[in-house]
Amino acid sequence: MKNSRLILIASLSLAAASAQAAKVSLLETGSTLLYPLFNLWVPVYTHLHPNVQITTQGTGSGTGIAEAISGVAQIGASDAYMSDAQIKQNPNIVNIPLAISAQNINYNIPGLNKIHLKLNGPVLAGIYGGQITRWNDPKIAKLNPGVKLPAHKIIPIHRTDGSGDTFIFSQYLSFSTPSWNNQVGYGTTISWPAVQGGLGAEGNPGMVQASQQNPYSVAYIGVSFTKQADQAGLGTAMIENRAGRFLLPSATTIGAAAAQLVNKTPVDERISLVFAPGASSYPIINYEYAIINKNQASPAVAQALRAFLTWALSRQGGNAPRFLNAVHFIALPTRIAQLSSKQIAEIH
Amino acid sequence: MSLTARRSPTPRGLRRRRLRGQIGWTLSGLSVLLVAFPLIDLLAVIVEKGLRALSPTLFTQVTNGISGGLWNAIQGTLLLVVGALVFAVPIGVLSGIYVAEWPRSRFAGLVRFVADVMTGIPSVVLGYFGYITMVIGLGWQFSLLAGAITLALMVIPYIARTTELAMLNIGHDIREAGSALGLSQGTVIFRVVLPGALSGVLSGIMLAVAISVGETAPLIYTAGWSNYAWNGSLVHAPVGYLTYVIWTFINQPFASAHALAFAAALLVIALVLLVNAITRTLLQRR
Amino acid sequence: MKFPRVQTVLTVIAAVIPLALLAILLFLGSYAWPAIRFNGLGFLFKLTWNLGNLYANPVTVAGQVVPRGAQYGILVFIAGTLLSSAIALLLAVPLSIGIAVFLTEAVGGTLRELLSFVVELLAGVPSVVYGLWGYAVLIPLVAHQIGPFLRSALGFLPVFAGSVGSGYGLLTAGLVLALMVVPIIASTLRDALLHVPIPLKEGAYALGATHHEVVREVMLPAVRSNLVAASILGLGRALGETMAVLMVSGGALNYLPHNIYSPVTTMAAFILSQLDSALTDPTGMAVRSLAEIAVVLFLISLLVNLVARLLIWQTERRSRVAHG
Repeated sequence: MKNSRLILIASLSLAAASAQAAKVSLLETGSTLLYPLFNLWVPVYTHLHPNVQITTQGTGSGTGIAEAISGVAQIGASDAYMSDAQIKQNPNIVNIPLAISAQNINYNIPGLNKIHLKLNGPVLAGIYGGQITRWNDPKIAKLNPGVKLPAHKIIPIHRTDGSGDTFIFSQYLSFSTPSWNNQVGYGTTISWPAVQGGLGAEGNPGMVQASQQNPYSVAYIGVSFTKQADQAGLGTAMIENRAGRFLLPSATTIGAAAAQLVNKTPVDERISLVFAPGASSYPIINYEYAIINKNQASPAVAQALRAFLTWALSRQGGNAPRFLNAVHFIALPTRIAQLSSKQIAEIH
Repeated sequence: MSLTARRSPTPRGLRRRRLRGQIGWTLSGLSVLLVAFPLIDLLAVIVEKGLRALSPTLFTQVTNGISGGLWNAIQGTLLLVVGALVFAVPIGVLSGIYVAEWPRSRFAGLVRFVADVMTGIPSVVLGYFGYITMVIGLGWQFSLLAGAITLALMVIPYIARTTELAMLNIGHDIREAGSALGLSQGTVIFRVVLPGALSGVLSGIMLAVAISVGETAPLIYTAGWSNYAWNGSLVHAPVGYLTYVIWTFINQPFASAHALAFAAALLVIALVLLVNAITRTLLQRR
Repeated sequence: MKFPRVQTVLTVIAAVIPLALLAILLFLGSYAWPAIRFNGLGFLFKLTWNLGNLYANPVTVAGQVVPRGAQYGILVFIAGTLLSSAIALLLAVPLSIGIAVFLTEAVGGTLRELLSFVVELLAGVPSVVYGLWGYAVLIPLVAHQIGPFLRSALGFLPVFAGSVGSGYGLLTAGLVLALMVVPIIASTLRDALLHVPIPLKEGAYALGATHHEVVREVMLPAVRSNLVAASILGLGRALGETMAVLMVSGGALNYLPHNIYSPVTTMAAFILSQLDSALTDPTGMAVRSLAEIAVVLFLISLLVNLVARLLIWQTERRSRVAHG
């Protein structure tokens, strides 16, 4: 009985396999920030192009880059661009921006979650570095005149898994606060200074849950989780940009920041968008990258990759508002989309 | 003996001793409740949330982004279990027979000891080993074979040890009777003793199935994950499995993903329960 | 051609088991070797796990190419592993004794069967499902009920004082681990209690002992070494548990827990959750250092299981000598 069932399963699978012989299978793995977007893209795209199969995995940006290099995955998704040392070791790997993401700084202060508290890099670095411990600290009060700040201890919450969110948050702190840059620096996992009462959380859902359950906490949360953070009743901070203005993340402010760096983006598109110049630039945004090996195993795979990535970039395809709005991402500026197209054309 | 020294003949002493006994029984009853309650709550939560997400399409469709069905994961879990058994059953059962039939050999002692110790190796360590050696080292990439062999490494010791115990349960007289009939040693072992020990051996294999169905950590970096049904290849193609859905989809910002995570949890629990039930029937028949 | 002897064939196949153990040790060890040399003994005693500046050009330290500022210390994870396992055992051992006594002495027949089934089921629930339940049910419970209750009841002890935190942490990890360890200890103990020689019990009854006194002063002392061995086996399980702990422990980097509600990281959970970040290190030293954690964890669980197995063997031999 059991045997016959196994044989049935095996023969069914074999039948399916032979029917799919002409299909191309792509594996996308990496960034958990991009994962929701890929999950929205893939069903629509594979419906339009039934000869392509795309598997999506949320394993983290580091894995995305590593598996793209090793050939395990055809598309490595990453919130961070590859370092010079990595590029030197792997000259065939290209970094192709697909969309622009941003980050909210959320807090949970009973009574103040409806207003948008103002925070800046040095203050956040002070909180996460353990020098600023209470919400009524003069440095916070100075940014928020007229707001009655509680004398409660601040609970800074950080990600404990490796994450692109940690990468861009620590970049914001590093670029805005020299002492943070010297002592801690930036990365997907950083050596967080020990802060009494500070908390770690796993993944963005963990960040939302931890800040909801801990009044007087502060957390950095990817924009894809804006809805969850709002439902949890968290406050969203206005963040000081390079020009000294306090802004909330929005399509306008994220777009403005990207526009500022369009001309500075090199042809290999490896650049940080964090702490961009410009009066209306939101300071914590980044390109979401597809990490691709230019030399693919077969022409069919390369062709399928080019077609999918081209669709992903197009305003009628993957960069259409119906996809990006669901995860609060922003479409690439035209010039950047062109640079990405050029890099896509190099895939063979 | 200390009992006599403390024995007090007065009724008051006896009452106190009875009271102590009653407190003791209450506490041990309480421990049962303390452990049973979380289990019941766990089952209730998973069944309640899982049932709400359950639908026939779950068994027919593959995962489509963060919605769709779980057919790829169900099929992948079954394939990984079967794949693990393909390696683990012959090695585990034959090793168990060896240890049971040559109990006095020093090598059998070593095998038995190592098998015991291996059941204690954290599964994530085995997963890491599989990643370094098979996924990267042999270039198999995320694949059915890498996942299945890693699982096999996990369950071989269990199968070996249960097989050994089942074989030892068959009395020496039966073996001697076989030899007296002029049967060769191999015939005695495989035609006489093993059939008698079969239900025990099978229960060990079922234990291996239950473990394989529920594992996550050793598979994440060996089997990977796939949104699609198996394409028939053993290497170079990742496979899906139910526990991945539980672990990853609960971290997604969409309600449909959470529903799938609970549905997968329900299926995993149901599979484990089913395997448990089969094992019990097997053992009772003995 | 002569057919090979059954014994030869079986010996060769059985050799797979020790060879597999050897292979795991060799491959993990040689992969981790550069990290073992780079990290030295400080690996075990340093608090800071710092991948270094991955975007600057790597530097050469002591003959090894590593990211600038990289240093790898795992004391925090060792502490998290040992403390969460200790809490699990502190809860699980008395609970298991209670359960085993209840199952063998207080109930019989169908109820015993049913409750034994519940205990076995507990062992069958997969780790990731415990994690899911911990995430959905236990974490809010610890944050809002258990934690505040413990603080108000036992707050005079520093371990229970201070912030109750988010529910993610040492206490929740310990609770989940306790649930996972109980069936291991309870079922071993139940079997041992069922095998306590009847004359031993009858002797105590003859002296006028109550039922519970027989349990407490005759039966439990008789199975003490089984209890120790089973507890060590449970410890081995708790030390290596990954998914459930990963989903409820909060994850601590670079600081030791200051109370029972603090977030912690265990070695097993860290290996799984940090492989991704480690892969961003172009020099590969981070991944090799993770492999070194795997080696350390492997050796610890090897040691724990070795001790447990030796104890069990000794007990078995002693009882064979006594009865056989």
